[in-house]
Amino acid sequence: MKIKVMSVYVDNHEKALRFYTEVLGFAKKTDFSQGPYRWLTVASPEDPDGTELQLALNENPAAKAYQQAIFQQGQPAAMFFTDDLQADYERIKARGAEFTMPPTDVTASKIAMLNDTCGNLIQVTQLMRW
Amino acid sequence: MTDREQYTPGPASGAQIRKDGERWTLILVRELRHSPEKVWRALTEPAHLREWAPFEADSSLGTVGTTVKLTTVGAPTPHVSETRVTRADAPDVLEYNWGDQDIRWELEAFGGGTRLTLWHNIDRRFISMGAAGWHICFDVLDRLLSGTPIGRIVGGEAMKCGWRRLNAEYAKQFGIATPNWPPQAAQES
Repeated sequence: MKIKVMSVYVDNHEKALRFYTEVLGFAKKTDFSQGPYRWLTVASPEDPDGTELQLALNENPAAKAYQQAIFQQGQPAAMFFTDDLQADYERIKARGAEFTMPPTDVTASKIAMLNDTCGNLIQVTQLMRW
Repeated sequence: MTDREQYTPGPASGAQIRKDGERWTLILVRELRHSPEKVWRALTEPAHLREWAPFEADSSLGTVGTTVKLTTVGAPTPHVSETRVTRADAPDVLEYNWGDQDIRWELEAFGGGTRLTLWHNIDRRFISMGAAGWHICFDVLDRLLSGTPIGRIVGGEAMKCGWRRLNAEYAKQFGIATPNWPPQAAQES
């Protein structure tokens, strides 16, 4: 058993795909539709067969309420890891993303937080090495 | 072997694409050896739909103005769409939405049977997938109406039953790249 896919809820598939590929730099992995249902995932080009992130359309009122609440509390819906947070921060910011927290030292890591424009905060983390 | 195990869809046929800019509509035609009245019941009544259609309906689709919940069968997570029946001229024309897509059925009496035409404005990236899925559904519908039902074949069941070949054939007919699904590594040889 492996952890292979995790999901974030998004308010619009196309907008989310643009943000997660063109702004964050991930690559589309799987895109399948059955009637009105669409299964859409992205993966990191650094790990194309690694864990996928499903961009799940949020049509569920309960999920919408949860998503808005944790967004307002400043909690991330997903967390990505990098080996160079400063470089990713500059790259992603240059492509127009809004960071709600610039690279900041916390216990054992450096983190930044950005708005994915689809209803979520995303945390980018670089573990400290010592 | 049961009829279901023996079932293999024929080659891709009877499909056209109508292109209105980025908006594409799949048009599928099938000739069925059954009366329009009989086909109409299969298109509208939940107990009939359950035997062949890619969704469950919680009430009849046969009354204009009604709202019906359609549940996509075989989707990885439950997916329910509110559907509005916008036209129901029994046994000739039936129109409703499925999520953000429009579905129109036309039934014409033809040689003692019915010429059934489906219009479905599937996103063009997935239109060959939809054609392949409906192709299999129509075969299952034909057997149901003939009194030899083989049971609904949708989702993963369809993938075991020639769906991938049909998807590739329809994509070729429509002049589009075959969508990468399922991922190559997961396919049988």
